[in-house]
Amino acid sequence: MAELYAPAPAAGDAGFKARVQRFGGHLAGMVMPNIAAFIAWGLITALFIPDGWLPNEQLAVLVDPTVHVLLPVLIGYTGGRMVHGQRGAVVGAVATVGVVVGADSPMFFGAMVAGPLTAYLLKLVDRATTERVRPGFEMLIDNFTAGIVGALAAIAGVLAIGPVMRVFTDAAGAGVDALIRHDLLPAAALLIEPAKVLFLNNAINHGVLGPLGVAESAETGRSILFLLETNPGPGLGILLAYLCFGPRALRPSVPAATAIQFLGGIHEIYFPYVLMKPSLVGAAIAGGGAGIVTFMVTGAGLVATPSPGSIFAYLANSPRGAHPGVLAGVVVATGVSFAVGSLLLGLGRRDGDEDAGRTGGAER
Amino acid sequence: MTGIDGRNVRKVVVACDAGMGSSVMLAGQLRRQLGSCPVVVEHHPVGAIPADADVVLCHTALTARARSRAPGSVVVGFRLFLGDPAVARVVTAVRTGGRVDDAGGS
Repeated sequence: MAELYAPAPAAGDAGFKARVQRFGGHLAGMVMPNIAAFIAWGLITALFIPDGWLPNEQLAVLVDPTVHVLLPVLIGYTGGRMVHGQRGAVVGAVATVGVVVGADSPMFFGAMVAGPLTAYLLKLVDRATTERVRPGFEMLIDNFTAGIVGALAAIAGVLAIGPVMRVFTDAAGAGVDALIRHDLLPAAALLIEPAKVLFLNNAINHGVLGPLGVAESAETGRSILFLLETNPGPGLGILLAYLCFGPRALRPSVPAATAIQFLGGIHEIYFPYVLMKPSLVGAAIAGGGAGIVTFMVTGAGLVATPSPGSIFAYLANSPRGAHPGVLAGVVVATGVSFAVGSLLLGLGRRDGDEDAGRTGGAER
Repeated sequence: MTGIDGRNVRKVVVACDAGMGSSVMLAGQLRRQLGSCPVVVEHHPVGAIPADADVVLCHTALTARARSRAPGSVVVGFRLFLGDPAVARVVTAVRTGGRVDDAGGS
């Protein structure tokens, strides 16, 4: 089967790719361990807000503190833990509180900065003090260095990091608004789909789109941003195209891959099928773009990040009234991606199989 | 590290970007396939591979990161999440002996 594989990209390319992946991995790594909390918030929101399935004022009070305080603090905590273990986690959480108080929108990006940064400061302080502490004073010093660093970081959060990140968050939100207003959002597929198959899927969704989407959803009850990267349609279309027109040696593995991708939501499973024949990224872009158009036309959106990007997560995260639009976007994306993918696979075979061994635009 | 004999492998780590999705799936499969062997199979984010991993399996798009994170482990890149020959070779080597070489990706 090895001859079906595309050759590995050049080493310099891989170095850059690895750097981008690593940075994105850090962003996503602060969010993904906390996805269950996002789901809990999404479920509570979808059920109990005034437009929800079971409007309930008494329970709807959970919504605001969860999204404005708990979720950012969890991100700051996890970001701190990535840098400096449990001590870093604690000061990261404290610093994040400084960023979230007084903010109108959920401060996820602020938490992604404040958490790791504060943990790094504590790491430097720890490095300077551990050698010098007299026996018996370790606990006193440890607790107070962390307490002081955390307090200072929280103050800095209120006075400096918070305002700066608020400007940044507002600018990012305004940028997305402009894209939506000028009907340019479908063009996002041009970036998202190629980056996805280079394993930047989590970085894009959990590092960028998710935090922006939660800010929007907290205000309006739904966001289209959750649907951009997570749509299982483009991948499903490509897998179905492989099932019908792909190299015969690969077809037996496709049904299982399809179930894992579409039902299980693990999109990684279809990336290799695109990497083997990089021109198929065109099918993913066409499908993704068509899906976004459909989401926009139908006013679709989700309450919270559907993670993993499974059709079940889509259905569970759809607010009341959004199911038809959400499903339509998935179906359209699947159909377009399947059609373009079939064409590309069919054409590739007519040219002989050499197409399958060439790396193309997908490596950029 | 360049290679290890399959019989000396005690810990296999499957790594993916988040350590929550595809690596969990593949680790589950490997655990079943290696059930009778004295081997621990774990899944981790590629940026948090434990130092005592003998063999690290990850997609070839992630091998560069895996190698810089785990210089003391044999890193084997695969391209397919289902039925990849590189994964099958590691399973065979661990079960019946034979060399596992650092391979795949960049």
